[in-house]
Amino acid sequence: MRPRTVKLARDLWVARGRVTVMVVGIAVALSGVGALLIARSVISRESAAAYAATNPASATLDVEGGVDAALLSAVRARPRIVDATARQTIFTRVLVEGQWRRMLLFVIAPDDPLTIAGFRVESGAWPPPDDGLLIERAADTILHANTGDSLAVAGPTGATTSVRITGTVYDPALAPAAQERTGYGYLTPAALERLGFTPVADQLKITVGSGTVDRDQSTVDAVARDLSGWLTSNGQRVHQIQAPPFQHPHQRQTNAVTALFLAFAVAALILAGALVASTLGGMLAAQTRQIGVMKTVGATTGQLLRMYLSAAVGIAAVATVLAVGPGLMAGYGLVDLVGGLLNVDIADRSLPWWVPAGFIAAGLGIPVLVALVPILRAARITVRAALDDHGAGSRVGLRRSDRWLARLRGNRTVLMAVRNLMRRRSRLALTVVLLAAGGALFTGGLNAASAWRAWVDNGLDRRGYDAELELAQPAPADTLLAAVREVPGVTAVEPALSVAATPADAGGRIEVQRTYPDGGHGRFTLTGLPPGTGMLDLEILDGRWLRPGDHNGVVLNQAASTRLAGPAIGAEVGIAVDGQVSRWRVIGVVAEVGGPAIAYTTPDALAPITGADRVSAIRIRTTGDQQTVTDRVETAIAASGATVTSTMPTSELRNAIDGHIVIFVYVLVVLAALMATVGVLGLGSAMSITVIERTREYGIMQAIGATPRVVRRLVLTEGALTGAIGCFVAIALGIPLSALIGDLLGRLSFGLPLPLQVSVGGLATWLVLIIVGAVGATLTAAQRAAGLTIRETLSYQ
Amino acid sequence: MNTLSSITGPVVDVRAATKVYTTPGGDFPALREVDLHVSAGEFVAVVGRSGSGKTTLLNLLAGIDHPMSGEVWIGGTAVHTLGERHLAAWRGRVVGLVFQFFQLLPTLTVAENVMLPMDFCDTVPAKRRRTAAVELLERVGIGEQADKLPAALSGGQQQRAAIARALANDPPVVLADEPTGNLDSATAAAVLELFAELADAGKAVVMVTHERDLTGVAGRRVTLVDGRVDADVAVPA
Ligand SMILES: Nc1ncnc2c1ncn2[C@@H]1O[C@H](COP(=O)(O)OP(=O)(O)OP(=O)(O)O)[C@@H](O)[C@H]1O
Ligand SMILES: [Mg+2]
Repeated sequence: MRPRTVKLARDLWVARGRVTVMVVGIAVALSGVGALLIARSVISRESAAAYAATNPASATLDVEGGVDAALLSAVRARPRIVDATARQTIFTRVLVEGQWRRMLLFVIAPDDPLTIAGFRVESGAWPPPDDGLLIERAADTILHANTGDSLAVAGPTGATTSVRITGTVYDPALAPAAQERTGYGYLTPAALERLGFTPVADQLKITVGSGTVDRDQSTVDAVARDLSGWLTSNGQRVHQIQAPPFQHPHQRQTNAVTALFLAFAVAALILAGALVASTLGGMLAAQTRQIGVMKTVGATTGQLLRMYLSAAVGIAAVATVLAVGPGLMAGYGLVDLVGGLLNVDIADRSLPWWVPAGFIAAGLGIPVLVALVPILRAARITVRAALDDHGAGSRVGLRRSDRWLARLRGNRTVLMAVRNLMRRRSRLALTVVLLAAGGALFTGGLNAASAWRAWVDNGLDRRGYDAELELAQPAPADTLLAAVREVPGVTAVEPALSVAATPADAGGRIEVQRTYPDGGHGRFTLTGLPPGTGMLDLEILDGRWLRPGDHNGVVLNQAASTRLAGPAIGAEVGIAVDGQVSRWRVIGVVAEVGGPAIAYTTPDALAPITGADRVSAIRIRTTGDQQTVTDRVETAIAASGATVTSTMPTSELRNAIDGHIVIFVYVLVVLAALMATVGVLGLGSAMSITVIERTREYGIMQAIGATPRVVRRLVLTEGALTGAIGCFVAIALGIPLSALIGDLLGRLSFGLPLPLQVSVGGLATWLVLIIVGAVGATLTAAQRAAGLTIRETLSYQ
Repeated sequence: MNTLSSITGPVVDVRAATKVYTTPGGDFPALREVDLHVSAGEFVAVVGRSGSGKTTLLNLLAGIDHPMSGEVWIGGTAVHTLGERHLAAWRGRVVGLVFQFFQLLPTLTVAENVMLPMDFCDTVPAKRRRTAAVELLERVGIGEQADKLPAALSGGQQQRAAIARALANDPPVVLADEPTGNLDSATAAAVLELFAELADAGKAVVMVTHERDLTGVAGRRVTLVDGRVDADVAVPA
């Protein structure tokens, strides 16, 4: 072996403790990068594939009175339509252990070839018998029932009929039942009739294209509009067109959140790179004279550069190899977790080529690039400067900026520690940056997590009602409210009147709706609320809330505002209900957590559309047992002749929202912990370098009478000081970073930036972690410094 | 032998070299118009008080420092014009340096220390390096120490190892800065004798020293006073 290789190997062996820290630092961060690369690539691909495999309808047209076989074949024969089928969807309820749950019934004729919006039967057989249905396999947790059990499904009058579950299907085109808190059932028109509903196949589902299916949104919209026009000219009434984006309803969020997490992991890796830079920098600084000697015997800058760079590459390579196992495990763990959460089967677990390539590039590239900084500096030092090097910070006091050091007064240990810190400013700076960045990401992550929760809490607190009961049909308000008010346990009642609506563009043309088949994602409603409502107190983002007499004014929630392309206050917007476009003036924009896109207006303003004094939902505040009270309210409503289709306790809404975000909050916290680990490792390594550099000095101190205790205290103080500086910078950096993360997460989950929330617990945790970490990391070094004998230290080269 | 030794005239040729250090207290001239000519086979001892500029002069010769004015020619190369990038390789082949504090690399064995310059300058084929290093170590009298780490050697042995390392690439010029400063007088005498042998073998040797008795060792004695050559005399054999 070449002597320079031997030297490098032995030097690394001598510093094996620090080398281990570097390797562990990179390996930990790189495992995170690997895991997220795997999770992101596999989940995006598989959920897209699973979604596409169902061949979802390009568009769904609601045709009044239904579509018969003749019309269907006429539609199929139309240009640019690949296939068509007619279905029906019923929103109803199911009684699960005494509680009402939302239930979505997909009604499909037995002879439907299931080529559009298909599903895979996992158990039982399609079609089910007339007294049975199949459920989506992920709905069992919501329905608390499985194959063989019976469900009490509400009919149009509210009365329930027992239906047997005869099997399960896998339908990855739907948002998972558990997250939506909705049961999904699949049954035939005959079975629907048995429940009391009238089977009408009024949903015309088409796939668009010429020969092959074309998923281009504008093509789909155009063909669907065109078909709608043709149907209308043939005497049909088309109520609405739905053409959701061709992707899983949660795909965009999943992509964006995993991208954010990947960014986090890469940041951790850059931190680990900084850790390597600081540690290598320290090791190189201790070798300055040796570098000078090597240059005097003929070593060129390039040779030294290659030599030390190969050490960095070696360290990074070992770390990369070590990160493969944990990265794979965590990655596929995450894949299964998120796959389960999205109700997507991971059919293909293979990785695209760019995942291993990116992993290796990140593992070797980032640490080596960062380490290049100290290596370049060390390799380029002139012989003169190298030979003049007399150890750590011998030039201290020569800089003008050092003069204040001499004037410092106070506790001797702290004073010495401060002066010592100033001797290696660039290392101090790097350590502080490391701690600060780690801390900023840690607190930033926790702050965003806590803001997320706070935002949900706050959003739900702003709902002053305990439950909302939706009616099958709008009913007369006065009689209904009076009846509900009489119910014991009801302390307040308010009406709400919602109609499904569509934003219309400036030309008055009806926008194609983006609602998914679950009826929830992408929904838009026009809702009338009493202006002085005590049940809803939404945060005003712009403009003002409704006032009595706002005849053509609407207040948009953020989702509605986005759907209407963010109109200014005072702007006019067109909203279509049942094909009729009406014009409204925007008077305010509000923030709302959960729920669809809503344009709020007064009930009076809705009267021309729905008729006067109508109500489609009742919001109640209750005392006592909520379930009992809601049951009584339902009875009262039924007695007054109306039918409840869904009861949504506010607590259930919270479960639905939490179901969407909880996992991501946890992942965020885990990543934050990763950052903290790298930060503390960095501090420990910096302190150990410091001690090694000053070995001789500690010997001299002991020779002139300092006890080991004094030496230990000095080193510990220095470590704690570094930690403290790092902490303050971390907090300062963490706040804007939290705002940034919160902004991104909020936009993804609620369409609004999250308010900045400082997690006091997070800050305290970080402080404690750093102080304990700093002391712990420094303790080994301090112990070593104090334990050195004078002879050892003075003979130290 | 090295091709450079075939060049006629002085191997070391310093012409009116001046070196000024800029310090916060003003400019400080460490060398003033120094002339020095050393031929192959000559052994020049540079003496003078502490601070007189001896190390500064040696640094100019080794290309570690550049003169502010004047010229430094070594073996026909204008060292004062070379950039840092070319200097390293040039130095490795042309100049052998010996320091007061030996400066052996602590994690390499003695033999590996000697092999290092051959490695960096790629002068000796890899397979022959070890043999060459052991030969050099035998020449300086510590062949049996070849596989020890420097810390296990005495001061005198370490300095011999450092000399062997300086000779690794068979340079025509050997420069030494107080190589005996850290040695007892008997060991020092033996090390001086070694340098004398190098000069006899045709190398130009320039050595900064505080040794008083150079009789029978160095051929010339150059005395520096306040950065000037005060005397340049032959030493009686
Ligand atoms: N980097 C520097 N900056 C400023 N002045 C310097 C520097 N290096 C050397 N000097 C000054 O230049 C003068 C010559 O220094 P030099 O090291 O050449 O002396 P020397 O003869 O080798 O002394 P010694 O016998 O003590 O080694 C001294 O006065 C010294 O203070
Ligand atoms: Mg000197």
